[in-house]
Amino acid sequence: MTPPSSQAPPADWRFSPPYDARRLALALIAVLVLLFTGARVEIDRMLALSADGMLATVGLKDDSQVAKGFATIGHQMFPLVIAERTETSRIENFDPEHLPPLARLETVESQVETLNPDTLQTDYSIERSQYLVEPFGYLSHVALKLIETLEIALWGTVLAVILAVPLAILGARNLTPHPVARVAARTVVSFFRSIPELISALFLVLAYGFGPIAGVLALAFHAAGFLGKFYAEDIENTDPRAQEALGAIGAGRLKVLIYAILPQVAPQYIAYTLYVLDRNVRMATVIGLVGAGGIGQELKGRYDMYNYGHVATILLAIFLLVVALDQLSIRLRQRMLN
Amino acid sequence: MIDIEDVHVRYPDGCVALAGVSFRVPKGQFCVILGPSGSGKSTLLRTVNGLVTPTTGQIAVGGVTVERKTLPLLRPTIGMIHQHFGLVDRLSAATNIISGALPAISLARAALGLFPERHRRKTCELMAAVGLGPEHLRRRVRDMSGGQQQRVGIARAFMLDPSVILADEPVASLDPKISAEVLRLLRDQAKSRGATVLCSLHQIDLARAFADRIIALGGGRVVFDGAPDQLSTSHLARIYGAAPLSNAMSDFTREPEPVS
Repeated sequence: MTPPSSQAPPADWRFSPPYDARRLALALIAVLVLLFTGARVEIDRMLALSADGMLATVGLKDDSQVAKGFATIGHQMFPLVIAERTETSRIENFDPEHLPPLARLETVESQVETLNPDTLQTDYSIERSQYLVEPFGYLSHVALKLIETLEIALWGTVLAVILAVPLAILGARNLTPHPVARVAARTVVSFFRSIPELISALFLVLAYGFGPIAGVLALAFHAAGFLGKFYAEDIENTDPRAQEALGAIGAGRLKVLIYAILPQVAPQYIAYTLYVLDRNVRMATVIGLVGAGGIGQELKGRYDMYNYGHVATILLAIFLLVVALDQLSIRLRQRMLN
Repeated sequence: MIDIEDVHVRYPDGCVALAGVSFRVPKGQFCVILGPSGSGKSTLLRTVNGLVTPTTGQIAVGGVTVERKTLPLLRPTIGMIHQHFGLVDRLSAATNIISGALPAISLARAALGLFPERHRRKTCELMAAVGLGPEHLRRRVRDMSGGQQQRVGIARAFMLDPSVILADEPVASLDPKISAEVLRLLRDQAKSRGATVLCSLHQIDLARAFADRIIALGGGRVVFDGAPDQLSTSHLARIYGAAPLSNAMSDFTREPEPVS
């Protein structure tokens, strides 16, 4: 449609309304797509089960699968396991004279039934076993695992930044030495971003064995994909005038990068990197599930042994860590941006 | 100092910005390029430091032809002042000014921020010269007014004692009073440091007030070249199209020119 020439009187000028048939049709299609896909992922059953669960909770219904499931888990999770109890005979070089701080020894007597092969009678004997009880033993174990998780996240972030900066410089339209280099860098970045940490951790555990190395690398690759993309886009969106001004007096590319681009992108870069650190801490707790070190590995082990009390302690610890980290990064970001 | 010989510039989109411009600017002259928007003023200035390469024609600065291989040597001797200042607005005034010395120091020094003492002294001296006190050294450019920002821009341009200053519409985004102050400052600094200035303007009264010489461009050609007092109303009518100018001094109150 060609606009009427400016000679036409204003009464003949036309412009389209904000909502028209095309937009309504799009909304209708969106609704149909949601209905179709909703049936496929059992949204209807989810709603029915949840309603049942809620009715059962308030006593309007006798039986509900969901309510029972939650009740069972909740029951087994409490009390949280804080202490650690170890049989002293299982501790190597156990020295009863030098106990760890706050620890105490407990002796448990138990009656043991044995069948006497001579008399064919059941004999009763008292067996004593000694336990080392550390009242905060498990808590401190979880704390150590949390620190390991933080370390994995920190190094995953550091390696990601180291990988992402050169990729971003190659991948930014205004800095790339050659368009081919740009496409190559963008491809690598997309590739990194397309592999979820959990999947790459699975393979990296096969290559590097169980432990933090696989975790650090898995986090680093995915985060490099994220940072590489956003670093590059920020470089492309910088104000070109300052760059041109320095280029015009003969400052080289790298000097322009340091003096015109870096100061402009620095606050955003810090914000992205903090976000990635935040995300990496959360992901580091998860990738332990496949054996890549940290608190997740402990969680998985306890879950598989049905130690739900331990699991609850771990989950609470992770929750507190994430909340604390959130507060910290909000403060850091505010300080950096001002 | 600046020799421009039959310079043509045709942009890849087919737009002809300059269609045969020739003139010479002697050392120390404050030469104003006058003309309406789109007359090729910016393009002309940008050919002098190689930001735009002429399609045909030649330019020499101080006897050295402007071409790809001489640019690294020439550019540090040509200061540039921009319409939108071209400053990094998150950085301090002092950092912006001293970054005018970047071509003169090694990359390692630049990366570590280790500017030699003479550049640091020069920064303070130029701050004072453009009328900004020591309290402005650490101020971020984005917290400064437009006039102050352009003062910083001018100080940066003089950092390496350039023999030529290109000022591309230096006052186009400033109000009339500040414009006059900034242009006076630019002229005085250039005169006292012996720099040749090529300054594009679109305000006729400012051109008349500050120029040693006015070169007017129209349609990519020189349509007037002479002293400010030779610029007559009929010249202006030719430069700015058919709109009659009853009073050339009332540049700001004039009816807007029809957009071509």
